[in-house]
Amino acid sequence: MSAITTTALVKEYPGGVRGVDGIDVTIEDGEFFALLGPSGCGKTTLLRSIAGLEAITEGTLHIGERDVTNAQPGERGVAMVFQDYALFPHMDVGDNIAYPLKIRKVGRTERRKTATGIANGLSLDGLIERRPGQLSGGQQQRVALARAVATRPEVLLLDEPLSNLDARLRLEARTFLKELQRDLGVTTVFVTHDQAEALALADRIAVMKSGKLQQLGTPREVFGRPLNTFVAGFIGSTPMNLVTTTVADGGVRVGTATVPLPATAEGKVADGAAVVWGARPEYLRWSREPVDGGIPAEVSVTENLGASVLVSAHSGDVRLQLVLGEDDEPSPGDTGWVVATARRSLLFDAATTELIG
Amino acid sequence: MPRGSRRRKLTLDYVSFMIVFLGLPLALFLVFVIWPFIQAVFYSLTDWTGYTAEFNVIGLGNFTKLLDDPIFMKAVGNSIVLAIVVPLVTIVIALAFATLITVGGSGKGQVQGIRNSSFYRVVSFFPYAIPAIVIGLIWRQIFDPSAGLLNGILTGLGMEQFSSFPWLGRVGTAMPVTMFVIVWGFVGFYMLLFIAAIKGIPAETYEAARIDGAGRFRTAWSITIPLIRDSVQTAYIYLGIMALDAFVYMQALNPNGGPDNSTLVMSQQLFRTAFTRGQFGYASAMGVVLAVVTLLFAAIVFTVNRITGGRDDGGRA
Repeated sequence: MSAITTTALVKEYPGGVRGVDGIDVTIEDGEFFALLGPSGCGKTTLLRSIAGLEAITEGTLHIGERDVTNAQPGERGVAMVFQDYALFPHMDVGDNIAYPLKIRKVGRTERRKTATGIANGLSLDGLIERRPGQLSGGQQQRVALARAVATRPEVLLLDEPLSNLDARLRLEARTFLKELQRDLGVTTVFVTHDQAEALALADRIAVMKSGKLQQLGTPREVFGRPLNTFVAGFIGSTPMNLVTTTVADGGVRVGTATVPLPATAEGKVADGAAVVWGARPEYLRWSREPVDGGIPAEVSVTENLGASVLVSAHSGDVRLQLVLGEDDEPSPGDTGWVVATARRSLLFDAATTELIG
Repeated sequence: MPRGSRRRKLTLDYVSFMIVFLGLPLALFLVFVIWPFIQAVFYSLTDWTGYTAEFNVIGLGNFTKLLDDPIFMKAVGNSIVLAIVVPLVTIVIALAFATLITVGGSGKGQVQGIRNSSFYRVVSFFPYAIPAIVIGLIWRQIFDPSAGLLNGILTGLGMEQFSSFPWLGRVGTAMPVTMFVIVWGFVGFYMLLFIAAIKGIPAETYEAARIDGAGRFRTAWSITIPLIRDSVQTAYIYLGIMALDAFVYMQALNPNGGPDNSTLVMSQQLFRTAFTRGQFGYASAMGVVLAVVTLLFAAIVFTVNRITGGRDDGGRA
């Protein structure tokens, strides 16, 4: 068992700034877990606290059954892949991978054998005698991964593992990473600011902001039912449409029309309540004919996304964005109706920003 | 590309640039470095006293005489011992301090030095700000057999046998004590040099080693030293050349070469031969030997570094 449990974890820097501000989270054994958030949200600090590279100010940290709040990094049974890989430039690939084994006093021949085995498994065949400086970014990353898994750690920590790779390689590495994690079955925590990466890789995602946990859930939950407007706006390749408005006549005023209340919010709000109506661009339709509950709008801009198109339309002074298939693409200047699926739209409290339903 | 087209036109701009940045330094170097070298080599082949205009060229006579000169050979031996021991001890201590100040702190949390490391960094640099001659004289006072601070403290602690112990006056202690003073004077500076080099290593590199479970000694041995070996080599050469000279410290601590010439070094004997005995030709020969020994030393350090470094790529990734 090597679940990770943090209890009211706080990391306070000199001067009173709290990088991590009271995080309670349990990461299950064998789980692929993402820490997601914008720059400065404390996700890397939390990861480094788990690794022991930041001293924990308050709270406790358990890995498996052990309390490792004050343990040395080397005693925690964790391995880490750094953003810039942190390979040792003066050692060849084999020695880099075998370094943690050397510290554990494994004999030289066995060490080399293990390192070669792992390297071959990560398609680094024939590179064992190269120096890190002679490798490409993708290869360096695989060496860093190989070094991390060489000791069969209980916990694998990845700090922005894909950020230094170019777009194409990133996609390849993403699939590779997911396969590797599944094969090893090691509890893995990774930090990213890229929501698409988190959605694609993780079993569960913790969304953070200002050192605090905003939402913890599966990619589907975080994407489909964000608990507040911050998460709603942060997750998704095209940000969710968030319209600050009021409840009226059993519906919600959006632009020049009144749309039905989201199914899950019915009965939870009264007329006149200040709310934020949210709908993902992917869940909006465009209709050239009038539709009951549709929002009349005029298309201002269209942006091509390849197989789909991002349409910006205005209804009164409200701007709505829609992602449409390439077949029913309107042109700028066209007028029509934006249709929201009641089942897929959300309502947030305007004051607390929290999800109503 | 044909040769002719590569030749630059001799514009005024180009010529004046060459004169200022190449001609002038080269001229100064020739006049003040190369020419005195040649002169010294020439005088080493003569019996010039230094105070008259006449002299005879006597060939290699001075050099054969040097080989049979037990005092000079003793001085050569002492200089070589200094050139081996002083850099080694200084570098080991400076590295240890630099490691403590930069990465030797608590094993958990961020990579950092020990508590109050900036204070130690400033304090240990103090000796380097004191002129060598002052360092020598201060320590001579401290080592004074009857009135010195050291024996005062030792007897105060109840060690009566040190009440008038002549630290600089015994064959067994004179050289070690002298080396201690030189090391004391230089550790601070080389510590700063190593601190700068260690700070050039990314913190992530240390963090990676730490997560892999490496302790402080292993980190120092397998990460720090290999990554700053260029700085260590430079330090070794500078220190070695300084130790082969060491004139100021020696003259301040033991102007007469110490008991039984046990702290006499080449530069001291050279000075004495030239200015006290009036044998400039003979002293020039000593100077030539000193220069050759110094060059040999540098060559050995470079060679050793090249051999042990293997496929050294300068520590760069």
